[in-house]
Amino acid sequence: MKKLIVKGLATATTFAALSTAAFAECGDVQMAEMNWASAELMANVDKFILENGYGCNVELVAGATMTTFASMNEKGQPDVAAELWINAVRDPLFAAMDEGRLHSAVAGPITQLGEGWWVTPSFAEAHPELDTVVKILERPDLFPDVEDPSKGAFVGCPAGWGCQLANANLFRAFDMEAKGWKLIDPGSAAGLDGSIAKAGDRGENWLGYYWSPTAMVGKYGLVPMDFGVPFGGSENWDGCIVKAEQDCADPQPSAWTKSEVHTVITDRLKQEGGIAVEYLAKRIFPGPVMNAMLVYMGDEQAGGEDAAIEFLNRHGDLWKTWVSDDAAAKIAAAL
Amino acid sequence: MALIDWSKVTLTDPPQLPREVLRELKKGIDGTFREFSRGYGEAIENFFHPLLMFLKWFQDLLIETPWPLILVILGALSWWGSRSWKMVVGTVLAFLFIGWLDMWEDTMATLAIVSVATLLCIAIGIPIGILMARSDRVQAMILPVLDIMQTIPSFVYLIPVVMLLGIGKVPGLLAVMIYAIPPIVRLTNLGIRLVDKEVLEAADAFGSSYRQKLFQVQIPLALPNIFAGVNQTIMMALSMVVIAAMIGVPGLGVPVLRAVSNQYLALGVMNGLAIVAIAIIFDRVSQAFGKRLQKHREGEHGA
Repeated sequence: MKKLIVKGLATATTFAALSTAAFAECGDVQMAEMNWASAELMANVDKFILENGYGCNVELVAGATMTTFASMNEKGQPDVAAELWINAVRDPLFAAMDEGRLHSAVAGPITQLGEGWWVTPSFAEAHPELDTVVKILERPDLFPDVEDPSKGAFVGCPAGWGCQLANANLFRAFDMEAKGWKLIDPGSAAGLDGSIAKAGDRGENWLGYYWSPTAMVGKYGLVPMDFGVPFGGSENWDGCIVKAEQDCADPQPSAWTKSEVHTVITDRLKQEGGIAVEYLAKRIFPGPVMNAMLVYMGDEQAGGEDAAIEFLNRHGDLWKTWVSDDAAAKIAAAL
Repeated sequence: MALIDWSKVTLTDPPQLPREVLRELKKGIDGTFREFSRGYGEAIENFFHPLLMFLKWFQDLLIETPWPLILVILGALSWWGSRSWKMVVGTVLAFLFIGWLDMWEDTMATLAIVSVATLLCIAIGIPIGILMARSDRVQAMILPVLDIMQTIPSFVYLIPVVMLLGIGKVPGLLAVMIYAIPPIVRLTNLGIRLVDKEVLEAADAFGSSYRQKLFQVQIPLALPNIFAGVNQTIMMALSMVVIAAMIGVPGLGVPVLRAVSNQYLALGVMNGLAIVAIAIIFDRVSQAFGKRLQKHREGEHGA
């Protein structure tokens, strides 16, 4: 690890020395490559576009939510965290933004992300009129439970996960037991994925908890369901829904709390990066595109770099809207 | 297409399939299984449906039966097995304790799946053991299968089972049985093979048929071994309770999983000990029963 860092630094320095003159317009950008698939892809797409389209000199450094944020906050490096889930670092991040040390280049660089309740696409196609959770809850007969077909099966979160409490409390908040539903505990991530895989492969109806961006959502085309009620306020959510049942006497129906993801950049880049910052602000991946790429990465066991090339080849019409015509031509030539 | 990528072979890298071929192979297998699941999954699920209904019925029965009645039945069973008052008192106390610590319902769910799994293992395992004892060729074929069943990591077969049957009791039962059936098969086979040749010769000399020899000589003399197998099968079924919980089987495994992911020390220990308590009771009772059978036989034959 240490060796790698030293080596990385050495290369970076040489590169920087060699290229300052040539790439003066954009300069050096250090980007965090987070240790999960969607962030790897984004970092590599950014690198390819910025280097080939705008002549930036991009260096990727490995990262994770907490460590990367701490480093950006304290040292001002790396310059970019493409996919920062801010729930974990909310308070210090907003403090740093207020002080002007960090900035959000774009809020929601991937659309439709976050947790919620999903259905299989075959259900969404067959019942377009049932387009919210509230409407679906009136029809438990469409999701018969194998053990007791008179009840509807709602697949919650595996035992022990934080979301298990939220799902169990929402189950009570929507009064689902009285409406003829049963809360199924899938037992583990493998159980949850398995139940989706089975329903998805056979075109069966499935209603349950999941999150995006994930390969599962992309692979089986899961459709997120609007809850049909607004978010019931943070008092209800943080003070009741996410707590154990005995600490949440009267849960109110609510949409799932929003997960916020930002592309966060340092003040230095905002001042000096110019064109790179403009690009980052426009670079928004639609959720389905991202999920499809995650499926590709899983199936082909592709790393971020291979996946970035594949993305650029597949979705030209998308990324060409992020860049200038001139840059687009250069990127296309580099592919 | 080349089956070995010679350019990559060095002293430290053994010959291997080219990456793309390996990937295609894996994708092919996954795809074939998915087709199979799409084509036959529903039929297989329907085939197991009666079993699911039975499991659910049995679990509901255990949960809804008044607790004093359950205690009486368990006490009677342990008396019937062990003929020891200590055992009976221990059993009743253990279950009272389990109830006292709010684990009654999970314990009943666990008892339901473990007893159904054990009965099915006995019903399937003993005939297979007898077949193996009868023919060396059958034994040579089945032994490796048993080895696989005992050593393959459970999650490997849980993936296809869950894709075929979904999550819930039936896949859980299958997982438990795959792991728990080998001892009963092995020990039935061994017990019958260990029956004294001279005893068999004597039976032949009296002109007994194959059926008479099997049911009146071999199986009775093999009973102590067979019972050791039953005992091991029960133990292994109990040890799979937590794995089964990972695919949505209710029971004592669920709180254990919850404890593991949240570092709830007390919850984990209590539920773990409840599994142990059930295991010890089942073990002592079935062993005592096995011993009693042996004594009885010894007395009868004057051996």
